[in-house]
Amino acid sequence: MRRIYALGVTLALAAPLALAGCGSDEATQSPSEVVRVTLANHVWTENIKARFDEFTKETGLKVELTQLGEDQLSDQYNVKLNAGSSDIDVMMYRPLQEGKLFATNGWMANLTDKVSSNAAWDWDDYQPGPVKATTFEDKVVGVPIITETEVLYYRTDLLEQSGFSTPPATLDELKQMAAKVHEDNPDIAGFVARTGRTAAVTQFSSFLFSYGGDFDNGNGTATLDTQAAMDAYDLYGTLLREYGPTNVSTDMSWPEAMAVFTQGKAALYVEANSLYKNATDPANSQVSDTVAFAPFPAGPAGSRPYNIPSWALGVNSGSTNVDNAWKFIEWATSKEQSLLNQQSGVPSARISVWENPEATADYPEGIVLAAQEAAENGVGHDRPLVVQVAKAREIVGQPIVDAITGKDLAASLAAAQTQYQAFLDDEK
Amino acid sequence: MSVPVQNPASGAAGTVNASDHPRPSQSGFSSWANRHRKWLFAAPAMIFTAAMLIFPLVWTVYLSFTNAQGSVRAPKKFIGLDNYVKVLTDTDRFWPAVGRTLVFTAGVLVVQMVLGMCIALLLRRAFRGQGLIRVAILLPLVATPVAVGMMWRLIFDPNIGPANYLLGLIGLGPYPWLAGEKTALATTMLIDIWQWTPMVALILLAGLTSLSDEVDEAAAIDGANTWQRFWWVTLPLVWPSVVVALLLRGIDALKTFDILYATKGRGGGSFHEVETLNVYAYGLSFDYNEYGLASTVLILFFALIVAAMLALTSRQKER
Amino acid sequence: MRLSRGYRIFRGIAIALILIAMLVPLAWMVLSSFKTNVQIYDTSAVFNFTPTLDNYHKVFQQANFGKYMWNSFLVAAVSTSISLVLGVPAAYSMSRFVMKRQAIVVLMARVIPGVSLLVPWYYLFSNLRMVGGYGVLILSHMFVALPLILYILMGFFDGMPAELEEAAQVDGLTSIGAFWHVVLPLSMPGIATASILSFIFSWNNFMFALVLSGAETKTLPVAIFDFIGYASIDWGGLMAAASVVTLPIMVFALFFQKYVVSGLTAGAVKG
Repeated sequence: MRRIYALGVTLALAAPLALAGCGSDEATQSPSEVVRVTLANHVWTENIKARFDEFTKETGLKVELTQLGEDQLSDQYNVKLNAGSSDIDVMMYRPLQEGKLFATNGWMANLTDKVSSNAAWDWDDYQPGPVKATTFEDKVVGVPIITETEVLYYRTDLLEQSGFSTPPATLDELKQMAAKVHEDNPDIAGFVARTGRTAAVTQFSSFLFSYGGDFDNGNGTATLDTQAAMDAYDLYGTLLREYGPTNVSTDMSWPEAMAVFTQGKAALYVEANSLYKNATDPANSQVSDTVAFAPFPAGPAGSRPYNIPSWALGVNSGSTNVDNAWKFIEWATSKEQSLLNQQSGVPSARISVWENPEATADYPEGIVLAAQEAAENGVGHDRPLVVQVAKAREIVGQPIVDAITGKDLAASLAAAQTQYQAFLDDEK
Repeated sequence: MSVPVQNPASGAAGTVNASDHPRPSQSGFSSWANRHRKWLFAAPAMIFTAAMLIFPLVWTVYLSFTNAQGSVRAPKKFIGLDNYVKVLTDTDRFWPAVGRTLVFTAGVLVVQMVLGMCIALLLRRAFRGQGLIRVAILLPLVATPVAVGMMWRLIFDPNIGPANYLLGLIGLGPYPWLAGEKTALATTMLIDIWQWTPMVALILLAGLTSLSDEVDEAAAIDGANTWQRFWWVTLPLVWPSVVVALLLRGIDALKTFDILYATKGRGGGSFHEVETLNVYAYGLSFDYNEYGLASTVLILFFALIVAAMLALTSRQKER
Repeated sequence: MRLSRGYRIFRGIAIALILIAMLVPLAWMVLSSFKTNVQIYDTSAVFNFTPTLDNYHKVFQQANFGKYMWNSFLVAAVSTSISLVLGVPAAYSMSRFVMKRQAIVVLMARVIPGVSLLVPWYYLFSNLRMVGGYGVLILSHMFVALPLILYILMGFFDGMPAELEEAAQVDGLTSIGAFWHVVLPLSMPGIATASILSFIFSWNNFMFALVLSGAETKTLPVAIFDFIGYASIDWGGLMAAASVVTLPIMVFALFFQKYVVSGLTAGAVKG
């Protein structure tokens, strides 16, 4: 009896063997019918995914989608592109994060001819900042799909309770309000933001710029030893240390920080504007009624938030399917699709879309205002502009977590300055 | 690996096989196959493993002597032992990672051995409801480590996690758990202990069950107390099982990755607080694209694992 | 031996503690998977909520976990089956002829850090045009399954008396015939143990699938990460996903409890 049982198990396990044999042919469909697209988990992806049928109807091409979280996405790129794999055609990537590295490694196909081939699609309609970020050594390697700037998320009810009728216009006011709200409601954080060593770098950058600083001078000299850097790191750390959530973790990227805010446990929050829907959606947010938005508060150098193309579409240079890949990009970044995406809360890089009043009709007032201001005073990067971005972010992120946890900031900055300078010298 | 039981009949079996005359009725292939079955049977598995193993090994050794960076297909220079010098003098990331790997492994092994032994002793004699508890300890063991990591992330969440809520009820906490620079490693160790203590318990229980009660009872009659009987009688008898458990768990604990990745992400947190050698090597490969350095770390890591295994197994032989 | 009353009480308490420690976290995971995020945020309401199936709806409808579950099953079943074909004869031969050194070659696979294999494998297989399907994934899981099967079955064959085959050979069977007709049927419990355990390990494997699986071949442990970093952490969905990954394998393990235990404890009572 027992033996029959055991035999049964073995057979049951062996049964799918035959099926697998058939299944593995699937991926080798003729390249002319399929375009293999790898996208990150993002609202943009959800929007565009829902309209794949239209693309198939228009072009007869089937989309084969791989969708991954940011980290898993870049792991897969690193393995697959390294191996010279041809099973990725279109790739969603971060121009400021991986762009330079991928282009340096020769992993990005040259799209210069493609972008100028279609006047109706209109490459000139793209904002110059994003275009610069997706151009490498005078070759276009990507089409920007999402732009981002940093804005202030705030709770109208909490600010009013503490006697503030308007959001903070300056970083000094931000600090005062955070302190007051936290004092009035000890359970609630006056301020929350990303705290993870590398995750926080981008959101911290606007603080640094608004104090008149930067990570380096653009010519290979680190500038973390300036007074501006000192003040900016100090403020970011102080806000989180003194008025942040109790037991503030140094692991928070935006999902965690956003969760604190949408749980109603924080009054002020700085984050990318492209994520605002998470706070206004009643299904995910307990503060959807009381959340409002404002431009990034001004520092001594004014309000200087980053204003960057956060994601772009490029083509894998190993792809044997470049024409179809371009068809997909052309469709996904067309004026119509960009408008639809913008209307659902994903800011585009197209000038015409921003000029279209329909595009932002449903946007909260503060978001539109912030975008307009950022277009004028924004800074075109939110992290060091280098090849090994991940490494650079770790170096310049160290003083952030040291400031949050109350370590000796001056010493930490001095160390970071030395390391970052060595890093820059190494990359030259 | 423990020594196979020497069966008294196996010597005889050997002579039968050696004098295995080809029978006239067999075809040429069949008799050839029968004569060579030792290698015929063993070869496919060995060839498969070797094929999967040799290329990565040679490749890793090769890369560890080059400055491979960015893309593995990019031109690279042979730089001799530079990577090894760089890694072995790196007190910023490498040595702390070695330290964390050792602390993690030693810590979880000690706790798992002690707790596992207690559970095994508890379950040694049958009682009502024993089936239930055997089921209960099996569950963590087979649960998917990544899912387990996610589960504990919620439980240990400083704000919404039940761990702090429950401790709050008795006036303790709140603790930062996974989020704290100093508590994160200990918390991941706690998760590992939760998941793998049952395995140690089961292995030791199997060892205990195979012992006869007679020696133990004889010692009791001689007036030995419970502790003495455990230390001088039971433990030496069950020692081979302890070594097996140590070996199996030791290898896996050194290589722990899933739980660390699921709870702290890449890089092991803002202060690299849970960055073990495995996590560091992963980060060097996939975050920094420093393939030369990553290969060097991997080779040193591999050497560490082999050394640990040899240390454990040679101890066993001495006994 | 009679147990004292004190020991019985102590044992009762200890067993209760073990049960709580082992089961409560899992129960919390499953419980949370039936809550909305707002309910999860309220830690004091442990049981006081109306269960919702929304999270499971999300997991299967939006995140397509049905497909991933099939992938996990397929990869685990196929890699286990092929590993058995390679591993059972090898284990037999290595046990009978005491091929310790050869066994170490295969068992080495269990020791080497997985990170060192990922990039070279992908490089190798993409040059062999083998990526994209289930092929690489199955090969990589076989790499985990084979040493496991070998380890368990070598122990099993070590304990099997050699007289059985001798008797069969006296009856006129060839040595391969004796293996096929006598040894193999008798080894079914051992083979079942090895395959069940290998299936569980494959189902739970994360690192290989993380980089070697594609859109169509993604397995469950990788799919869990879809619930992080999409919106602000969706704890309800995440816990539902974690439950969907772990519950099937737990039920599977409970069903074959005896085999799982004998597999995990293989090698514990020798020497």
